[in-house]
Amino acid sequence: MEKLNEIDKRVLTIKKTFDAPRRIVWEAWTNPDHIIHWWAPSGMKIQVLCHEFKVGGQWKYSMPMPDGSEFISEGVYSEIDEPSKIVTSANFRPMTEGVTIHVLFEEENGKTHFTFSVVHPTEEYCRQQEKMGFYNGWGSAFVRLDEFVGSAGVEE
Amino acid sequence: MLIFYIWVSVRLLIMTTESRRDIFQAIADPTRRRIIELLSTKPMNLVTLAEHFEISRPAISQQIKVLEECSVIETRREGRETFCSIRPGELKKLADWAERYAPLWEEKINAFEAYVNKLHSSKNNKHGKAK
Repeated sequence: MEKLNEIDKRVLTIKKTFDAPRRIVWEAWTNPDHIIHWWAPSGMKIQVLCHEFKVGGQWKYSMPMPDGSEFISEGVYSEIDEPSKIVTSANFRPMTEGVTIHVLFEEENGKTHFTFSVVHPTEEYCRQQEKMGFYNGWGSAFVRLDEFVGSAGVEE
Repeated sequence: MLIFYIWVSVRLLIMTTESRRDIFQAIADPTRRRIIELLSTKPMNLVTLAEHFEISRPAISQQIKVLEECSVIETRREGRETFCSIRPGELKKLADWAERYAPLWEEKINAFEAYVNKLHSSKNNKHGKAK
């Protein structure tokens, strides 16, 4: 139990229920032809450099930056249990390194319960990432700004 | 993590020393960041805005001038009052820039959800047509 609690402190989890059957959610998550359409932030493009969808297989995506550099996301699959579970290591340098991503897909009445967890190597790193990505002043400011820009954009 | 912050700081420093009047220079100063935060809630006149700060009104005016040169805010004079408001377009550039680097899982998952919905409805349509 102690161990579970200890892991809890290092995990960021997002849960969603998608209004689509599991096979479609699984396909969208695992097929590179689909991944290129949702992985990159809006306005950015990604290139799938490698996608070995098997245990021990590597995935590597590149996102070209406006300054000519490349932003690389990569990892190695450690568990694939079609169509319900995927575990992979992940590096998104320079801002996220050495995390493990667990993705669970559960089907219920044609809908898919989707659980996305990022397990960090330490609790401290998890808190840092959490602040940066979720609760950081800038993060929430951007959400507000996006809404603000969205509503003001009509007038412009 | 630390490397990321150093990298951002260096980026911002380079941009500042280049003396470009843009959004990145606008946010390089804490007072200016606070002004942006306040004005992004609602437009304010200079007097009301200055009340939120310990520093003098002329000092705030100076920062407002820089922000205006950076195209982040605009001012409008009405009689003896100066009204300040945000120009969201420039701030969007900053948001877009930072978005690329932040581990915004939530956004990624939201994008994924939108894509799943699209994929699901397009498959349904195809299926419907086949019938």
